[in-house]
Amino acid sequence: MTRRRTGQVALMLAGLLAWAVQFTVIYGATSTLCGLDRADATLLGTGAVQAVILITTFAAFLAAAAALSWSLRTQRRMSGQAAPADRFMTQAGALIGGLSLIAILWQGLPALILPACA
Amino acid sequence: MDLEATRQGPAGRLRTATARAALGASALALMGCDGIQSALDPAGGDALRIYRLALVMTAGGCLIFLLVTGLLLYAIFAAPERRAWLGSRRTVVIGGLAFPIVVLSGLLPYGLIVMRDTDMPRPGALPVEVIGEQYWWRVTYPADQERAAFATANELVVPVGRPVTVSVTAADVIHSFWIPNFGGKIDMIPGRVNRLTFTAERPGIYRGVCAEFCGDQHARMAFDVVALEPDAFADWRDGQAKPAREPDLPDLARGRALFRAGGCGSCHEVRGTEADGAFGPDLTHVGSRRTIGAGQFPNNVGTLAGWIANTQHIKPGVRMPSYGSFTGEDLRALAGYLESLK
Repeated sequence: MTRRRTGQVALMLAGLLAWAVQFTVIYGATSTLCGLDRADATLLGTGAVQAVILITTFAAFLAAAAALSWSLRTQRRMSGQAAPADRFMTQAGALIGGLSLIAILWQGLPALILPACA
Repeated sequence: MDLEATRQGPAGRLRTATARAALGASALALMGCDGIQSALDPAGGDALRIYRLALVMTAGGCLIFLLVTGLLLYAIFAAPERRAWLGSRRTVVIGGLAFPIVVLSGLLPYGLIVMRDTDMPRPGALPVEVIGEQYWWRVTYPADQERAAFATANELVVPVGRPVTVSVTAADVIHSFWIPNFGGKIDMIPGRVNRLTFTAERPGIYRGVCAEFCGDQHARMAFDVVALEPDAFADWRDGQAKPAREPDLPDLARGRALFRAGGCGSCHEVRGTEADGAFGPDLTHVGSRRTIGAGQFPNNVGTLAGWIANTQHIKPGVRMPSYGSFTGEDLRALAGYLESLK
């Protein structure tokens, strides 16, 4: 696989990668803090568990949004002679980026509603 | 002969029979909607929240199912030029992507809010400890300022209007504690204490069950839940904290002697007597319980005698052996003594 193609695949999957990183960080941080009985710990003036979840969710959301934006811009710039593989990867990247945005929001939502370590 | 049905012909008769069957099945299904063990008859706030969530999910699921089925039939039977819009990109994006996202984005916060508000720790809750054992429930009410701690079995008595926090664990295998009328389930895991808080809002008699397969007699591991007005609950608790009453009739005294001679006290405790076994259920006030055998039989002299003589026949696999060697007269005296322990 050429370097260009590798970059295209990585960008196509960027939304999913952001979602996976968010899940891992949220799961790990919550398990660790709750396991250490640090449910009451604070960070930036709010509960540490909630703060980690909100920061991670925000960062993952930005990453997925950037991937979506890149895919849409590339799609718009693409000429009629573009290779089918390029066209597919750009369209798939846009779809994956959009769905990842929603998944990241759904995954972060419990932090705002449920108590930590309940 | 049913003249109406004859006039209808075979198709009419089939329709009538189907309608009657559907009506009968619906009536049968609806009979299960209320009662002492029904999540569809909530008697507390937590159960009500879960019930509403179930209604919303079921009704929503049915509506979506009907919609999709309707569209499917339309796609099959409508004229090609009329059904063409179903295959358009716009329809696929709206129906296959936007619609599920909107529906799930509404249901997710709703479900999370129900989860947050259910089983919330509440200050001033009455603490009760329940241990699941194959195949019965050891229930302990810790001491408070006025009364000593006491144990009972296979019944949970709670005051109406006051939150109750049940701390649960298991002595042998994993069980699950569930009172459908009051809320959700909670696992009982050996070596770990889980907590469930609920509030009974309606006096009455309910039924709890083991909701995790725990062995041969899992299906016969139930318990009575009695929700009493606060004054009645205080009276009940006063009575339960007291030691067993002395037999006041010769036959009951004979029953107690048989209880002693039979070695029952090595497994069962009867407070106020030398019987101090901790292996089986506490029998200090066994006569006051509604049922025996973990919610299996009404509590009376006959069922008590039958249980003692044929335990392994009635509930094979329980730890108590059958005591079939008692004569009928002895069994009556022994069961009478136990029934007198109110």
